[in-house]
Amino acid sequence: MKKIVIAIFLLSTALFAQEFNASMKTYVQSLSVEAKKENPSFGGFDAKRGEAIFKSVHVSKKGKEISCATCHSNDLKQTGINVNTGKSITALAPSANPARLSDVKEVDKWLRRNFNDVFAREGSALEKGDVLTYIINQ
Amino acid sequence: MKKIVLLACVLVSFVFGGNNVPVVDNALYQKECTSCHFGYQPALLSKASWEKVMGGLNEHFGTDASLSKDDTSTLLGYLVANAGNSKITRGNDTIYISRSPYFIKEHRDISPRLISQKEVGSISNCIACHIRADEGSYRSRDIFIPNYGKWK
Ligand code: HEC
Ligand code: HEC
Ligand code: HEC
Repeated sequence: MKKIVIAIFLLSTALFAQEFNASMKTYVQSLSVEAKKENPSFGGFDAKRGEAIFKSVHVSKKGKEISCATCHSNDLKQTGINVNTGKSITALAPSANPARLSDVKEVDKWLRRNFNDVFAREGSALEKGDVLTYIINQ
Repeated sequence: MKKIVLLACVLVSFVFGGNNVPVVDNALYQKECTSCHFGYQPALLSKASWEKVMGGLNEHFGTDASLSKDDTSTLLGYLVANAGNSKITRGNDTIYISRSPYFIKEHRDISPRLISQKEVGSISNCIACHIRADEGSYRSRDIFIPNYGKWK
């Protein structure tokens, strides 16, 4: 009986709570060290702040309104579409697309590019950590 | 003997026919240059054009497509080694395939409505009309324009 309970527990955490893999954990850890350096009162990343960043609307270099959700949609479990090219983008949420947020080089590259496109600057360690925390919890 | 020659001719024109370009055969290119759009074959631009494209990835057609230094130079090597030198690259050293004089001539009869419709969106979306573009085929018989049909 105990075993079954444990198995159910493990299964449900696997289903409902997504976790970063080891290399991503190291990456997020290094972001939090940097965030702490930038602001000594930093107390951890927050999915709510991440969501606000993700959905905030800005004027792009092309003079058009744009947010992260413009390409990735408001529901991260859904397929998005690249507004610049019309090409579809598979879901960003690891719960719907396990390949997401699993490769540090890939994540770092796209955060640099995508922040530049939306905010016309790179994201801070705090912003990147918040946004990743939001995405992994979808 | 005659048959063999004929067969050889057919085969050669099939492989090197004017409307075919060699397919993309580089894994890094496949990964990095097809994430936002169809993977344009190296033979569609000249060496000079690819040098400009790869020199400006951080401001790539209004979007940031920047890569690490290593990946940028590996890809430039691949593109330059396989760059085109045919009617589609003639007279074009811009970063646009769609600004080649031959390209413009071939596409001038298409109604703008068919290009701006959401299934296509832009003339840069080759594979929306050239349905076997990823196999390197731009032949007339492999053209199918959404909400129009086969090109005649
Ligand atoms: C112009 C369209 C566009 C916008 C706007 C955009 N993205 Fe992306 N994003 C993409 C594309 C394209 C990819 C890579 C597609 C793929 O791998 O299928 C991507 C990939 C990502 C990835 C990598 C996921 C992985 O592990 O594979 C993350 C994280 C991400 N985006 C976050 C963001 C954030 C945060 C914002 C807002 C600051 C944003 N995106 C805005 C187009 C966009
Ligand atoms: C972050 C998204 C993104 C990535 C990554 C990207 N591109 Fe592009 N590319 C674009 C956009 C946007 C356009 C403009 C398309 C349009 O106008 O419809 C474009 C257009 C092009 C064109 C011109 C097409 C034409 O109509 O003549 C070429 C050539 C090109 N890209 C090559 C590349 C190469 C090579 C790579 C890999 C090093 C690459 N792209 C990676 C977004 C991207
Ligand atoms: C809106 C649909 C559409 C799009 C998008 C499009 N083409 Fe075409 N293309 C055509 C049509 C139609 C022709 C004319 C064929 C003919 O008249 O035989 C053509 C002709 C061509 C030809 C000459 C083929 C021949 O028969 O000699 C080439 C090469 C070509 N296109 C390449 C491209 C490339 C590369 C792209 C993307 C950068 C592209 N096309 C985008 C519709 C399209």
